[in-house]
Amino acid sequence: MRLVGSHLRRLLRRPATWITLVLLAAMIALVFVALAATAEQAASQPGGAAILSLLTFPIAYAFVLAFVIDIGSLFAVIYFAAVAGSEWNWGTFKNAVARGESRSRYVLSAFVALALMAGAGMLLVFVIGVGSALAGAGIAGVGTDGVGDRDTLLGLPNQLWRGWLALAEAGAIGFAFATVARSTLAGVGAGVALYFIEGFASLLLPDIVRWLPFSAASSVIAGADTTGLQGGAAGTPLEPGVALVVVLAWLVGSLVVAAVFSERAEITG
Amino acid sequence: MTVAGDGAEGALAISTRGLVKRYGSRTALDGLELSVPSGVVYGFLGPNGAGKTTTMRLLTGLLHPDAGSVDVLGRPFGRGDRRRLFDVGAIVEQPSFYPFLSGRENLRALAGSGARVPKGRIEELLELVGLRERAGDRVSRYSLGMKQRLGIAGALLNDPRLLLLDEPGNGLDPAGIAALRDTLRYLAGQGKTVFVSSHLLSEVQVLADVVGIIARGRLVREGSVAELLASGGVVRVRVALDEVTRATDVLAGFAGAASVRAPGGEPGTIEVTLDQRRSAEVNRALAEAGIYAAGIEAGGDLESVFLELTGEGTTTADGTRTLGAAG
Repeated sequence: MRLVGSHLRRLLRRPATWITLVLLAAMIALVFVALAATAEQAASQPGGAAILSLLTFPIAYAFVLAFVIDIGSLFAVIYFAAVAGSEWNWGTFKNAVARGESRSRYVLSAFVALALMAGAGMLLVFVIGVGSALAGAGIAGVGTDGVGDRDTLLGLPNQLWRGWLALAEAGAIGFAFATVARSTLAGVGAGVALYFIEGFASLLLPDIVRWLPFSAASSVIAGADTTGLQGGAAGTPLEPGVALVVVLAWLVGSLVVAAVFSERAEITG
Repeated sequence: MTVAGDGAEGALAISTRGLVKRYGSRTALDGLELSVPSGVVYGFLGPNGAGKTTTMRLLTGLLHPDAGSVDVLGRPFGRGDRRRLFDVGAIVEQPSFYPFLSGRENLRALAGSGARVPKGRIEELLELVGLRERAGDRVSRYSLGMKQRLGIAGALLNDPRLLLLDEPGNGLDPAGIAALRDTLRYLAGQGKTVFVSSHLLSEVQVLADVVGIIARGRLVREGSVAELLASGGVVRVRVALDEVTRATDVLAGFAGAASVRAPGGEPGTIEVTLDQRRSAEVNRALAEAGIYAAGIEAGGDLESVFLELTGEGTTTADGTRTLGAAG
């Protein structure tokens, strides 16, 4: 707990934490402003009703959460990789090892702290997203009666929990890349490349890609992919229950790779 | 080679036996045998690439040896013995910090790993290294010397019995070096063992009780500073300019041609490498040849010993030896 607490305090002081949060919040707010601003035009066009439905509660809840998971996955890859890589780049992992700290305990504690931060960030951005959707609905003149829909609200904790796992899994991929590469830049680069390669590959090999980390992550919540950036955009997504198991497998696998690598690494830099 | 009088193995703070470390085809350490007595300041010298930092990394568990063994504070130190480092403080290469945190926050972050740190210890150390005033500033705004001092504070967090410092004088101004020397001597006075690698030979000569010299991954000499200086002393003779050539011949006949040189920067001065206690004999040899020295200084320096042992000195066109490759 002492080590997790120490990592958490550092993350709170880290500019990247707040930049990531602000960017994600700004993006979701912007999306709803854009939707609201174009609602009148969209209503008169084919498929316009579908766009308006994104501002309509309770559907808006699922849209907000799916957006947070999809775009959040990309942000999580970058953020987790940046933190893991900097421990090697700055020599702070070396400091801890030289103080007699367990290597794998240190690395896994850093991940736990990151996952907790990602969870808190996801909740905050979700709230901002719902607020933006409400504001957008008001601007577009869409009713907000469904905001208190009992069934949706009761299902939200389960959806949020699944979403948090999806974000943690996406982050774990970046975390493992950066740990193995011992570099922020290489970790971020490899994680982001995989994210987009998965997205493009899903057009050609949808049945394979849906088992890959980001596609599986976007399938863990009902409502699946909404942004079209990821593998879930094409083909049949995994059933949410199966996706959850796949996400957990990727998460645990990534952490095992990171822990084993850090235990065996020769620290020369 | 073992330091005379260091007694039983248990009295050693660090002991390495046949330590070998290879990076691919390159051998960084080739059977290193170190014996560092407890409670001393040990100067660890060697040219660049001699294996100093590799040794530091092995002593702190950052690397693992390909062969040989390491004992730290009287007990074997292997892969499963990380807790032995709870009694060790270290700076390996340059001190490392989170640039976005202040000095105080960095020490708190460091205290979050490894051995538990008593309350109040951080403030105590900030005071000791003279950083209390700037402890709230971000480390990214610190000078190199301030970072070095903060690194020393970090190494002292858990009040270690053994302190391993890799080039701790880097970036420090003369006042900072003097303060560092006082701090390290104070710590040695408290019974701690201070193991310092450095390329500042004059500093090590003043600071260290015992010196180990490493070259090409092997220990080439280990002993007290006094022993080393006696074994590699220099006698400097000043004669009239028109007698330099003849005096050089006389001294070459006395001590051997290889031991005599005339540093280009000091006209009329001849240096003879031999035990400084033989300076009177040098004076007599010159007098018997009818040459009267204007001055004779007997006194070795660690640099001469280092250069002789490591063969790392380079000779310039004017005959002056420099520490060229040493680091």
